Amino acid sequence: MHIPDGLMHPLISLVGWIIAIIVIALSVRILNKKLPYRALPLMAIIGGGIFVAQMINFPIGAGTTGHLVGATLAAILLGPLSGFVIIVTILIIQALLFGDGGITALGLNIFNMAFIGCFLGWSVYKAVPEKYKKYGILLASWLTVFVGSFACAAELAGSFAISGGAYGITGVIAFPSMLIYHSLIGIGEAVITFGVVSYISKVSPDLIHVPTVAIRPRKEAVLE
Amino acid sequence: MKINKRLLFPIFAIVVLFAVSLIFYFIFSAPYGDGLEKTMEEGGAEEGEPIFEAPLSYGEDYPTAFVMGLLGFLVVVGVVLLVGRILGRKDETHND
Repeated sequence: MHIPDGLMHPLISLVGWIIAIIVIALSVRILNKKLPYRALPLMAIIGGGIFVAQMINFPIGAGTTGHLVGATLAAILLGPLSGFVIIVTILIIQALLFGDGGITALGLNIFNMAFIGCFLGWSVYKAVPEKYKKYGILLASWLTVFVGSFACAAELAGSFAISGGAYGITGVIAFPSMLIYHSLIGIGEAVITFGVVSYISKVSPDLIHVPTVAIRPRKEAVLE
Repeated sequence: MKINKRLLFPIFAIVVLFAVSLIFYFIFSAPYGDGLEKTMEEGGAEEGEPIFEAPLSYGEDYPTAFVMGLLGFLVVVGVVLLVGRILGRKDETHND
């Protein structure tokens, strides 16, 4: 779901950049000098793992493929802020080093995948009662792909409407197409996320409880 | 900052899983686009010219993709560690 250059109307891309910069600035402000050094190796390995996992597209039928986003996975393992920083880092490296996703669309890609994936995914996961956490992982990861694709479809439709068809795709095609494909891709995301979290919970539960900075309605962020 | 020896196994596992998954990727998925590319195809939209030419690509064959994956892995690990060092703190007096 990496949006390339030239697909979206410049105004839509600009809005994506503004939102991305605001969320990155807030995340960095909250995380600043609070991220424990001992959490870094695990964060880095999870980031590297998500990068290579994003290279592996899996077939969903009808000549279409999808790949793991990994944002909900990172948020569940490390917390939404640390997860967000990791996914943003991956998206920037993909765009600058490998040309995967456009520079102009980077803000939108950060919004669709990193922001929605980490913050919505983490919120849904946290909202699910403890005894149903397994289902919470599945629901959170599927939902973030679905909502991310809805956001992408809205951006495509908005670009089309603003530009009179020069950019984007008409909503009549963008919404059903994006949502149908990504409802299937989301199943893959959910299965992989569930598998990884379950495996780590079983073999090394302490790794899941690496201290990360949590968002709390307090003056100072605390470790969860 | 020392890397916990327990983290060496996940690194090894990631590389092995990547190497194996990449085989299946080239067998089953490589010729096909993802959900957004398929939507673009159905909507008659095309990619515009990139405003920035990236120095690398993932490659069209297994060896190149594998090397690029490892390179990307190392770059991500390095940048996350760097960002973490900037945002991190040595003091760990808080409760976990």
